[in-house]
Amino acid sequence: MILNYSQPLEISNLTSWFDQYLRSNLSEFWTLLIEFVLVGIFLLAAYAVIALILIYAERKITAFFQARLGPNRVGKWGLLQSVADMIKILLKEIIRINRSDRFLFFAAPFFMIVASMLTFGAIPFGKGLQAIDFNIGVLYVTAVSSLGIIGVLLAGWSSNNKYSMIGAMRSGAQFISYELSSGFALMTIVVLAGTMQFSQMIEGQRFCWNIFNGHISSIIAFVIYLISGHAETNRGPFDLPEAESELTAGYHTEYSGLQFGFYYLAEYLNMFIIASIATTVFLGGYLPIQIQGWDAFNGIMGYIPSYVWFFSKTGFLIFLSLWVRWSFPRLRIDQLLNLEWKYLLPINLVNLLLMVILVLTGLTLKNLFGIL
Amino acid sequence: MAQQIIFYILAIIISLFSIMAVTSKQIIRSATYLLFVLIATAGFYLLLGYNYLFAVQVAVYAGGVMVLFIFAILLTNRPGESHENELPVRRIAAGITAVAGLALSAHIIYWNIKKISQIVTISDISPAQLGHTMLGTGKYQYLLPFEVISILLLACIVGAIMIARKR
Amino acid sequence: MSSVSKYFSGLFTGIKSLLTGMGETWKELWTKKVTQQYPENRETLEISERFRCELVMPHDENNEHACTACGICEMNCPNGTIKVTPMFIETADGKKKKILDTHIWDMGMCTYCNLCVITCPSDAIIFKNNFENAVFEKRKLIMQLNQEGSKLREKKKESKPTEPII
Repeated sequence: MILNYSQPLEISNLTSWFDQYLRSNLSEFWTLLIEFVLVGIFLLAAYAVIALILIYAERKITAFFQARLGPNRVGKWGLLQSVADMIKILLKEIIRINRSDRFLFFAAPFFMIVASMLTFGAIPFGKGLQAIDFNIGVLYVTAVSSLGIIGVLLAGWSSNNKYSMIGAMRSGAQFISYELSSGFALMTIVVLAGTMQFSQMIEGQRFCWNIFNGHISSIIAFVIYLISGHAETNRGPFDLPEAESELTAGYHTEYSGLQFGFYYLAEYLNMFIIASIATTVFLGGYLPIQIQGWDAFNGIMGYIPSYVWFFSKTGFLIFLSLWVRWSFPRLRIDQLLNLEWKYLLPINLVNLLLMVILVLTGLTLKNLFGIL
Repeated sequence: MAQQIIFYILAIIISLFSIMAVTSKQIIRSATYLLFVLIATAGFYLLLGYNYLFAVQVAVYAGGVMVLFIFAILLTNRPGESHENELPVRRIAAGITAVAGLALSAHIIYWNIKKISQIVTISDISPAQLGHTMLGTGKYQYLLPFEVISILLLACIVGAIMIARKR
Repeated sequence: MSSVSKYFSGLFTGIKSLLTGMGETWKELWTKKVTQQYPENRETLEISERFRCELVMPHDENNEHACTACGICEMNCPNGTIKVTPMFIETADGKKKKILDTHIWDMGMCTYCNLCVITCPSDAIIFKNNFENAVFEKRKLIMQLNQEGSKLREKKKESKPTEPII
């Protein structure tokens, strides 16, 4: 049973009306061209705006964790602080380093930003708000996000600076290790959902989110995904590639201005991307909380637009990531690799097997309680 | 039309960066150019609609193998140093090997295309279908090659442990 | 078997300690924020008594101070910030006596190490916490601590000089 409530606040109403309007007035080619360009502009704008909001939110929440007030001078409650920072970063000079590899030095930030941009395009922000819906969505996201590390490695090498180099090597080792865990955690859920396509995966979670559906196995996978995703973004207790007390800033020590801005943006957006993939895969994506049988409740929940659900779930996960970041001290490199190779990966492999058994023996919540 | 344009762009990128990859004197730059070639190849797969192959190409070659390449290069002695030209004998030998390899693969591709004489257009394959094909034992299913390749990887892992083991 | 149980006990104690840590930061999230909104709360601003900002020489109501111009503060100052200029006068009973002429302190050179205050034998100088010391010209940082026309407090009145008012 698919509930078709009239949802007046959905953006998909607007987009489909716009599509029909264009189609009735223009030929197929021009319609598609205009729509592609608009989608591209929208994604780029959303990328920048989300990064600005995240930077503000992070600084505020960080401050609250440290019993401070955070930015509160630029605009009301410091709301314009990240805009001011952006203007500053755009105006700064791009410094050329002597005896650095000029070509690789300039190419490296683009790897980083393109990788996170490609991932960003595949995220379903709301009903009908997904730029591209591959039938291999989960695999695509994992594959494309692995390109970003090349930017880090090249940046570290081409800066001709030992701190950058050490930071890049650490980052590389960390990323390659944790990529495995996050991939396995996602594959666990692919086994449960039986599809890799984001839209189908979300539709399958209408009454029972994946994290509840696979109960114990799903929860383990969720926690592992959050840990390894957090490690992949080089943040929180896993920020030893840019450990400022030892390596000044790690791989982006020598960058300034817009190039540094690229790394900065990509770092924040990667945090958002990890959170939104976790939302989509584990927490039912843009679907509201719905309980089978409670039609009135479902109807009320359905009135809240899907993008609000998506962003609030993602925001919750981002808050969780910040909470972890400001709770724990930085790991040593051997502790970091121990955590991955001795704990997360073996647990993950066992967990994958457990999930296969759960699915094959019909012990998932959906099968047990007959939820659609 | 659009597909043709994209194809030509990708083809130019691939041929240009392939040449640059072999002519560049710095090994790390060669690796970067090779990376561009691999990504453009992934673009071909996307153009053909082979989404799965695209993702695998990006994940395995661009994201996996190239990262390890760059990692290994960074760990070598002086990665940024330009290389001296090799001896003429070795250069000629390398040239002959390259031409022979090119001829062999060109011959095989040409022969096979002639034999089939039509490119099979595959409609959107679902990942489930792919999985069944890859791990099935029936006709046109590939469990045996799959497992053989895993034995190869296993041998690699055992070898790596042997090398890394403390005596 | 022991290594297996060690693995799992290590895992669970690790998780437990992580959760404890997160609980602590969760409490911290809701604590009162300690940030001082400085220019707005100028009236109610509270600064710790031990905060060292400005060297002063306390004078009592008779315009008297406790400095005997011994120069120990000048000798102890690591930066040469203090310059004590003594002056010799003749007292009523014909003795020559050394009194303070000027006590000059250069704030721009001071590192606020407190050595002068600690070593002063007569507790004549103290650090006050008036921190708004920014000026536009360098020469304004050089201050004379003793007031015009001030003189040494007679010691025999009290056994100990009065505690300076902060």
